[in-house]
Amino acid sequence: MTLPSRRVRRIPLNAAAVVTVVVCLFPVYWMVSTAFKPSRDIQSAEPRLVPYTWTLDHFRRAVQADGFELFWRNSILVTLGAVLLSLVVALGASFAVARLRWRGRRQFMLLVFVAQMAPWESPIIPVYIISRDTDMLDRLPTLTLVYFMITLPFTIVVLRGFLATIPPELEEAAQVDGCTRTGAFVKVALPLLAPGLMATSLFGFITAWNEFAYANFLIIKQQDNRTLPVWLSSFQNTFGTDWGATMAASTLFALPALVIFLLLQRHVTSGFAAGAVKG
Amino acid sequence: MPAVRERPAPRVHRPPTTPPGRRPGRSPHDLWPYALIAPAIGGMLYLLVYPLVRAVVISLQDFRLRQLISGDAEFVGLRNYRTLLSDPRFWEVTGRTFVFMAVNVVLIMVVSTLVALMTERLRRVGRTVVLCALVLAWAMPVVAATTVFQWLFHSEFGIVNQSLTALGFGSFDRYPWFANGTASFTILVLLIVWQSVPFAAVTLYSALTTVPAELYESARLDGASASRIFRSLTFPMLRPIFMLVLSLEVIWTFKAFVQIWVMTRGGPGDATTILPVYAVQTALSSQRYDLGSAASMITVVLMSGVLVLYFRQMFRQEDDLR
Amino acid sequence: MKYRLLAGVSALVTAAALSACSSGGDGGDGAGGVTTVDVWLMRDSVSAAFQKEFTEGFEAAHPDIDVRIQIQEWDGIGQKITAALASNDAPDVIEAGNTQVAQFAESGGLLDLSDRKDELNGDDWLKGLAEPGSYEGKQYGIPYYAANRVVVYRKDLFAKAGVDAAAITTREQWIDATTKLNKGGTQGIYLPGQLWYALGGFIWDEGGDFATESGGRWEGALDTPEALRGMAFYARLQALGKGPKDSDEDDPPQAEVMAQGQVAQVISTPGGANVVVENNPQLEGKLGFFPIPGKTAGTPGAVFTGGSDLVVPAAAGHPDAAVTFIKELTGDAWQKKLAVAMSYVPNRTTLASAVADDPGASAMAVGAANGHATPNTPGWAAVEAENPVKDYMTAVLTGGDAAEEAAKASADITRAMNAGS
Repeated sequence: MTLPSRRVRRIPLNAAAVVTVVVCLFPVYWMVSTAFKPSRDIQSAEPRLVPYTWTLDHFRRAVQADGFELFWRNSILVTLGAVLLSLVVALGASFAVARLRWRGRRQFMLLVFVAQMAPWESPIIPVYIISRDTDMLDRLPTLTLVYFMITLPFTIVVLRGFLATIPPELEEAAQVDGCTRTGAFVKVALPLLAPGLMATSLFGFITAWNEFAYANFLIIKQQDNRTLPVWLSSFQNTFGTDWGATMAASTLFALPALVIFLLLQRHVTSGFAAGAVKG
Repeated sequence: MPAVRERPAPRVHRPPTTPPGRRPGRSPHDLWPYALIAPAIGGMLYLLVYPLVRAVVISLQDFRLRQLISGDAEFVGLRNYRTLLSDPRFWEVTGRTFVFMAVNVVLIMVVSTLVALMTERLRRVGRTVVLCALVLAWAMPVVAATTVFQWLFHSEFGIVNQSLTALGFGSFDRYPWFANGTASFTILVLLIVWQSVPFAAVTLYSALTTVPAELYESARLDGASASRIFRSLTFPMLRPIFMLVLSLEVIWTFKAFVQIWVMTRGGPGDATTILPVYAVQTALSSQRYDLGSAASMITVVLMSGVLVLYFRQMFRQEDDLR
Repeated sequence: MKYRLLAGVSALVTAAALSACSSGGDGGDGAGGVTTVDVWLMRDSVSAAFQKEFTEGFEAAHPDIDVRIQIQEWDGIGQKITAALASNDAPDVIEAGNTQVAQFAESGGLLDLSDRKDELNGDDWLKGLAEPGSYEGKQYGIPYYAANRVVVYRKDLFAKAGVDAAAITTREQWIDATTKLNKGGTQGIYLPGQLWYALGGFIWDEGGDFATESGGRWEGALDTPEALRGMAFYARLQALGKGPKDSDEDDPPQAEVMAQGQVAQVISTPGGANVVVENNPQLEGKLGFFPIPGKTAGTPGAVFTGGSDLVVPAAAGHPDAAVTFIKELTGDAWQKKLAVAMSYVPNRTTLASAVADDPGASAMAVGAANGHATPNTPGWAAVEAENPVKDYMTAVLTGGDAAEEAAKASADITRAMNAGS
């Protein structure tokens, strides 16, 4: 097999790769480029793939829109709160599942799997009623708790998977050296678990950052407590015909997720690779 | 989303069983595990099980706006379920839900398998670029992606209509996509496939990389064709993770709600109304919380068929993990 | 014992997360005996300037009450009000569309204001607002303002095209004039495909209706010949501009579209003209009004008597302050100002003179003589929430078979209206 013919044979493959990349990126690109285009170019009959002139007007308009900063902050607070809470709770639970032997372990995992699959949009009315009766309506901690619940099951499952890739012998060795069981876990396993924790928090972050239905229904009177997805979905009302501003706000909304994902991507793959190697 | 980290590599060389706990029977620590899982159990009981039970109770009551405001609802047995099951519209919606799910899942699985196979064959640079593109699409928040798709298909200034018109399809000039049931349905499928493929493809790709290269080598030396290698070597090795991704995608598309609610609210007409949307519509628009809850419960029951499959797979993996 | 550390950390994180989140929370009652009355008004129901003037004026007159007005979107408002009524801490005053009140009153979520009727000059209220605001003989909704749609037009574009707005008295003349205007870059009329109130007018003109009642059961009536003729006229008119066939007047807001300068006419409440000018000050003085033409020169086109009532949720924290607020906003002084500022019909017949000089209001008054209402039954709110009428309009405008689509939409209306019972 000669070199040129191999190159020719790779053409369809590379073409497919290009198509994949374009299809994946085009909506993201279109969002960002619309956000930077002047309105006159956005509403022209001749669409431009690359903005002719660049403008920050739309971003200015989005940021200056009523409460944008506030909603951004709310979203961040709620999301981080939920992710941290579920990480801590899940760490304990997954330690128990992966490292300890106890009666009901299998049943517990079954519960977790069921919880992970539960259609958590359906009990929205009961959740509304319960929060009302406990005076938790209109408050961000309520959303934090709901998102905690949404992210907890898969956090447990994922963390347990990571934990299982760390050989218990390492901890046992540390215990022989005089560490306590917990001490051994904190000193030896936890650092090894860091990529796993990051990967897990990533998924939690995306889920909570995105959540719409509860945020839309549980925050009623205190509109200052709304979160970004709810605000974004009512965008056409806020910005009217200004699709540039809509796209600018979408960009700003997507930004944290994109950044965190790209930053942590390495850890996701490395954590995964570690797991695969040790399998 | 556990699949990525579930270590898909088939563990043929493992010792038959390893006990789950490394230090069996240390009595002073008997309460340890229970203390550790207590917060998780408590959270799930109060925030998931309890609301679900309340939802079941509501579905057995006469529960409307008046009852929502004042409390004290009356039990009516299975009346709400009877009302639903005898409503032809409900059956239409159920049928549509299955069609929607099937179309989405088939597309997602086919496309993501192809993308995964392709990625594996790429050289390093190409592979990194493709993976990054996938990750970016994956990270795009649902509401933002939905908004962007609305903009892509905007009747007047959307790039899709402008491109189609420019390509000579004059009938797409100002074509109102969201006014046509089939078109809206298609756009939603596109959106959901676009959002779901990255996860499935990356997961399958990761699984592919665990297939030892020597196996391919020897198969190729034996003169097996590419499709044969895939059928009798790659796919069997991928099977567990493939099934896992499949059941996750089934469940996720069955539950798809936000995209539809933000984009079309189930319209035009009922064209994009699937069960979760129907439940919310019934509950919130017609103020029939009882019927809405009943519809959700039926959705859960329908989903549990898929769940059984998922659990079996999960526990098989579980046994592998020990 | 060592797991204490973990538990401690988890408790700490939890506490930090929760306390960090609650900071944005409350703020209902200020110190020093000042009550804050929370008010929900609808988008475009008051202008920003009027809102500011009123808030300042009100707080000066009532130093013990702070006003906090939140502007709500019409889109999804029924669900929003539902959630508010069922909560423990509802807003004190809510503006609700006159057709929505019956449903909320039926549920028991509203405060009965019958005994305040005299205090609020109830004898002079507009019937089109007071009647939908009452349920089973009790008054829940207090009339706030009324408005009906007129044609808002560009005087300069009409002059350029040689069209005399005053001469348009029949539908056919209207179509001719609009055809003349619809040239070059100018849209003869910007009529979005789902402006179903306008469709209602055309249907009423023909003698049809959205739904009819027989023996206590409501049935959709879009498939009657009268209603189909109304839709056919809508389609003719809609074609004389570039209104999107698949959305309503709020998406995009039609006032903003008109503000861009290429639109000769819109069907809107006269108040919409203010929003146009707000968005494009160059159009100041260039907007005129005429009543929606009827089938014959003698009768104006039928219009939907729109408007809003103010309601007080049963769960409101400060019902007395709420009534004080309503009393001010619906009192002589502010009603007159509001009517002039927003070109509304004041809530009481005795105040009608306040807008006698306003061209928008006088055009509105002509139409109001042929005012109609949507079916006055709690079931109608469910129809509006789902709105099959909008889907029907889009389906017909995009080439669907009118009779077939109308039958489908009528069936949907029938189902929605009877779903609650």
